[in-house]
Amino acid sequence: MSPDLMIALLTGAALFGIGIYGALSQTNLVMIMMGVELMLAGALVNLVAFWRFLHPDSYAGQMFVLIVMTVMALEMAVGFGVAIARFRAKGSVEMEEAQALKG
Amino acid sequence: MTLLSLQTLFIAFFGVAGVAFGVAVFRTASMMRSALALLFSQTALGAMFLAMQAEFLGVLQIMMMATEMSIMAIFMVMFMMDPGGLGEMEMTHQKRLSIFAGIAGALATAGIALFTEWGAVSATAPDAALQVRELGTELLGRSMLIFETAGVTILTAMIAATAVAMPALARKKPA
Amino acid sequence: MNSLMVILFLLIGAYLVAVLESWLTNGRLHFMAPAWSALSLLGSESVVPRKPDRLFFETAPVLLLMAALLAAAVLPLGPTGGIADLATGALFINAALAYVLVALLMAGWGPNGAYGLVGGWRFLGQTIAYSMLIVMPLTGVAMRAESLLNTDIVLSQQVVWNVIYQPLGFALFFIASLAVSFLPPFDLPTAKGDLAGGVEAEYTGPRRGVFRLARMVLVVSLATATTVFYLGGWLGPVLPPWAWSAIKILVVASAMLLTGHFLPRIREADLLAWCWKLGIPLALLNLLVVGIVILI
Repeated sequence: MSPDLMIALLTGAALFGIGIYGALSQTNLVMIMMGVELMLAGALVNLVAFWRFLHPDSYAGQMFVLIVMTVMALEMAVGFGVAIARFRAKGSVEMEEAQALKG
Repeated sequence: MTLLSLQTLFIAFFGVAGVAFGVAVFRTASMMRSALALLFSQTALGAMFLAMQAEFLGVLQIMMMATEMSIMAIFMVMFMMDPGGLGEMEMTHQKRLSIFAGIAGALATAGIALFTEWGAVSATAPDAALQVRELGTELLGRSMLIFETAGVTILTAMIAATAVAMPALARKKPA
Repeated sequence: MNSLMVILFLLIGAYLVAVLESWLTNGRLHFMAPAWSALSLLGSESVVPRKPDRLFFETAPVLLLMAALLAAAVLPLGPTGGIADLATGALFINAALAYVLVALLMAGWGPNGAYGLVGGWRFLGQTIAYSMLIVMPLTGVAMRAESLLNTDIVLSQQVVWNVIYQPLGFALFFIASLAVSFLPPFDLPTAKGDLAGGVEAEYTGPRRGVFRLARMVLVVSLATATTVFYLGGWLGPVLPPWAWSAIKILVVASAMLLTGHFLPRIREADLLAWCWKLGIPLALLNLLVVGIVILI
């Protein structure tokens, strides 16, 4: 069990946990998106560690990392577009005030 | 106890830095500090990729995340009521659930990481120049379909985000 | 040894660029001008604004300097390469230049002043404009060299320089490097008349000295990048390699400083419109043309 691999995987796990905490506990849309970014970053760390320590000769791992980075950027772009639209309509992007569909 | 190599030391250092900055994102009251803490967390992870000899990915992560998180910073300042963090505001809800879920998620992934038999760990990685060349060949050869799909998805997302964010056009009344 | 030479070269280059800038501003060539102004800045009173964000206020000039030095570290000044010849050197320069944005945002937010704040956020608008223009021409350069290694890029220009091979890319990269180092006509973040000095205004004393030094090193780094990517780096017939590098860097830096002297300041909204509607199609056209020329 290589210490490098363990450290990298534990870092990924810690970032994932912090990301879940952030995504669930924050009331503002932008902060929730920060939580999601942290979760995806944890996944990226795991992917690179798997590539480097288990399959360094196959580049499918690096392709996966590129796709996840692309998805991070896209999800941020569309999320901020939605945030702008919501802000224009309601004046805030707080989740507490977005309960109109509830119940 | 295996000898701690320089690589292990760097990976550990940047890993701890990434997690520390990640914690700082949600501990600080100032929105700008939150956004820039996330930026430096991603930079630390990019440096970690460089320490793991994935040079292209590390440089790409550092470059992309700097600009992305700065854009996140300006959106924070636009949309949040107290960007400086000087007023005392309650920014969280369902605290216990989220702490529980966070710890559960972290423990689950850590448990899987520690207790799985990962197999033989490779000691060397390809040279960086070779990696760039091989990644390019892979990207435009075997994974061309994925690459093209990603390109079209990026274009779609750009158009969608712009369309959602534009203000509603005033409708012309029939004469 | 190599690293020390490169750092010395950078500092001398930054000093000469400062001399050039003072010549342009004051009209008289005074070789000791930067030295005297540096001494006066070190001695002048350091006024800290009321209630700054202390962390950002202190970090911003240092981060700007580090970003500029990192960008220059991967650029080769001679056949032995720069300080660190990374295999993805051409991409690393963009990574380092992205931190210029972060530094200016910190410098705008930190002092808790209105003009600096506006200056910092306007630079973000500028960044979105120039980002594509600074990456896409480099793709064309890397296509010709078939490698991202900076030494390979210089060596691929032995037959004909990239400025002749890809003139459109050179023009776009030049404009983008003017925008990165917020030189006139893109100097909205530190606009003298418009924003009362903008981002630079709230820094006094030694911190302003570091900020100015960082900006000069940034200009030198960008001039070095332009010569490495487009003007053939150290290639030349008679003189030793470092002499050719020095001459080319000084010529490019003077051109960068001179260009803005005659143009009005461009708002970031106009810059965004021009870059995204005209600049990016031109950059894509450049890639297409370069690709076709390489394949023929």
